[in-house]
Amino acid sequence: MNQVLDRYRSVAGDEAVRELEQLGRHLAGARVIHVNSTRQGGGVAEILDWMIPLMCDLGIAADWQVVSGDGDFFAVTKAMHNGLQGQNVEMDSPRIRTYMDTNRQEAERLRPILADADFVFIHDPQPAALLTILGAGHAHWIWRCHIDISAPQRRVWRVLRPLVEKFEASIYSLPRYALPLPHPQFVIAPSIDPLSEKNRDLTDAEMLELLAPYGLDPGRPLLVQISRFDAFKDPIGVIQAYRMVKKHIPVQLVLAGGGAADDPEGDRVLNAVRTEAATDPDIHVLALAPDSHRTINALQRAADIVIQKSVREGFGLTVTEGLWKGKPVIGGNAGGIRLQVFDHHTGFLVNTPEGAAQKALFLLTHRDEMTAIGQRGHRFVRENFLLTRQLREYLILMAGLRLGFSDRLELDGAAEASA
Amino acid sequence: MPHELFSIKDCALISRAVGLAAAATLRELRARVEACPCASLYHHFCETKLRPSFDDPEYPNDLAAWAAHALRDAVLGERLAMIDGFEYEDLEILRADTLDVIDQRLGEAPSLAWAQPDENFEFMQAMTVVFDTGACADSIEALTQAVDTMSNGSIYFHFVEARRRPPWGKDDFSTWISTWDSPPADLAAALSSIDFRWLSLHGIKTQIHRVFTRALESGAGA
Repeated sequence: MNQVLDRYRSVAGDEAVRELEQLGRHLAGARVIHVNSTRQGGGVAEILDWMIPLMCDLGIAADWQVVSGDGDFFAVTKAMHNGLQGQNVEMDSPRIRTYMDTNRQEAERLRPILADADFVFIHDPQPAALLTILGAGHAHWIWRCHIDISAPQRRVWRVLRPLVEKFEASIYSLPRYALPLPHPQFVIAPSIDPLSEKNRDLTDAEMLELLAPYGLDPGRPLLVQISRFDAFKDPIGVIQAYRMVKKHIPVQLVLAGGGAADDPEGDRVLNAVRTEAATDPDIHVLALAPDSHRTINALQRAADIVIQKSVREGFGLTVTEGLWKGKPVIGGNAGGIRLQVFDHHTGFLVNTPEGAAQKALFLLTHRDEMTAIGQRGHRFVRENFLLTRQLREYLILMAGLRLGFSDRLELDGAAEASA
Repeated sequence: MPHELFSIKDCALISRAVGLAAAATLRELRARVEACPCASLYHHFCETKLRPSFDDPEYPNDLAAWAAHALRDAVLGERLAMIDGFEYEDLEILRADTLDVIDQRLGEAPSLAWAQPDENFEFMQAMTVVFDTGACADSIEALTQAVDTMSNGSIYFHFVEARRRPPWGKDDFSTWISTWDSPPADLAAALSSIDFRWLSLHGIKTQIHRVFTRALESGAGA
């Protein structure tokens, strides 16, 4: 009995779980170690939180190791992280030495653990030097890059490139995030966990309790945008759109997000949004704590329309979350939102506040279409963007590494040979 | 005489970069189409349904969708949309026909449209794994039940991708039925009337199930 996996049958579908079990049989007993730099907080830790138990459920001996370091090390890796995403950062010799020294110390600590591994997944740049220091041994080493490195600061890339090109393969979240490297580069799109606090079904009683503090009127339509208070998410544009809609329909608007407290830029945007919204009791600006997952879940479920009017975006998991909850999404015509929002099918892509207002008015006056779009969006996420699909792609990659890369692999009969 | 068992397989893919620079203009797209491996053409024309992506009902291949959405060239999008990758046994001919359509458009509209930087066309190909589900069927009745619980990957493998394996152009269900001593009348024709090109894998599955259910109702259960 696969205790963790079985919980996903009813939400992701029995077929999706059976596929994992069938693929997992070919990897049963494999020793897989994921290495990142934090056990808590951040998207990578969230992924490993579910992936490790699911891999174990499939009979794979999965483990999760975390590299530790002092403040200097994490200052360097933060700079590296920002530099890889194009910011101008300092990356001089002392900083490179700090990075390599910590990786050497951690390599010695992890050496006996990694020596037994069949697969080592190194997440992001922080532990990327481990392979150079330890050598691959008999394991397959994969670099999993979770950030957009398509336009890095060259100084930082010159440090990282010799380290990551030694890996057997690398993985990115979107095709455009990758830079050319001398090994196969795979794309595994992000996903959501349908059973997490942010996405699981909520009872009516939970909805009432979670929404009670905000004074929303259940009798009037609700537009919701969940995102950091960041100019690229265009919250002011959302308020402008809301005002255009309100001339025709008495809507309410929730702009909710977290993470502004330690972010000067976020603070500035949050203040601008509050100033813009100040006189309107139907605009609810909520600066939520980072662990407000159930509240976000309830707000998305209470929405008639989910908005994500970003002018720049990565993948846009808040869009995925909205679609999963059966809501049409009005999304900015940017980044990964384009991979999820399709006009009249799962929502509408817009470029301006006027566009967002017009599409919201269309949806609110065509309730049947709104329902149909919501149902299509839910099915679209169920088939494409749940964690079962993400895990399946990891399994395919591992099978490919084991059997030798080829455009096509027939796994029949390979289970015994490769176990 | 008992029928040979129909062994149900599944398949899934992961996308990988081909290693070509992304295309931002139609001229760049042309150069990359000319240079990319056949596996990449196959991925962008035929494997779109199996990939985690939206099944665009207007533009069933990636090049058509890119021309229409990123270059905002509806004329080119419409023409490319009518190139059916499954019709080509030789993918080099698919490449040549695609280049013809692009060249025609370049001749008509020489001014270059640019895609936004985050909308460039990225050439990808797939690594596909095929695996046995362990399930099999020995009758229409059993296969009807099996289709009901099949994954999208199984539907793709047996009904879509099968057309590119011998016997060319036929789905695995029709091929299996044709080996029977007395194949149910009209069943293969009903299966071949399902136009898989314009349906999602979920839609194809629904239609296959409907065809088998009707066959059972008309007494083709053996």
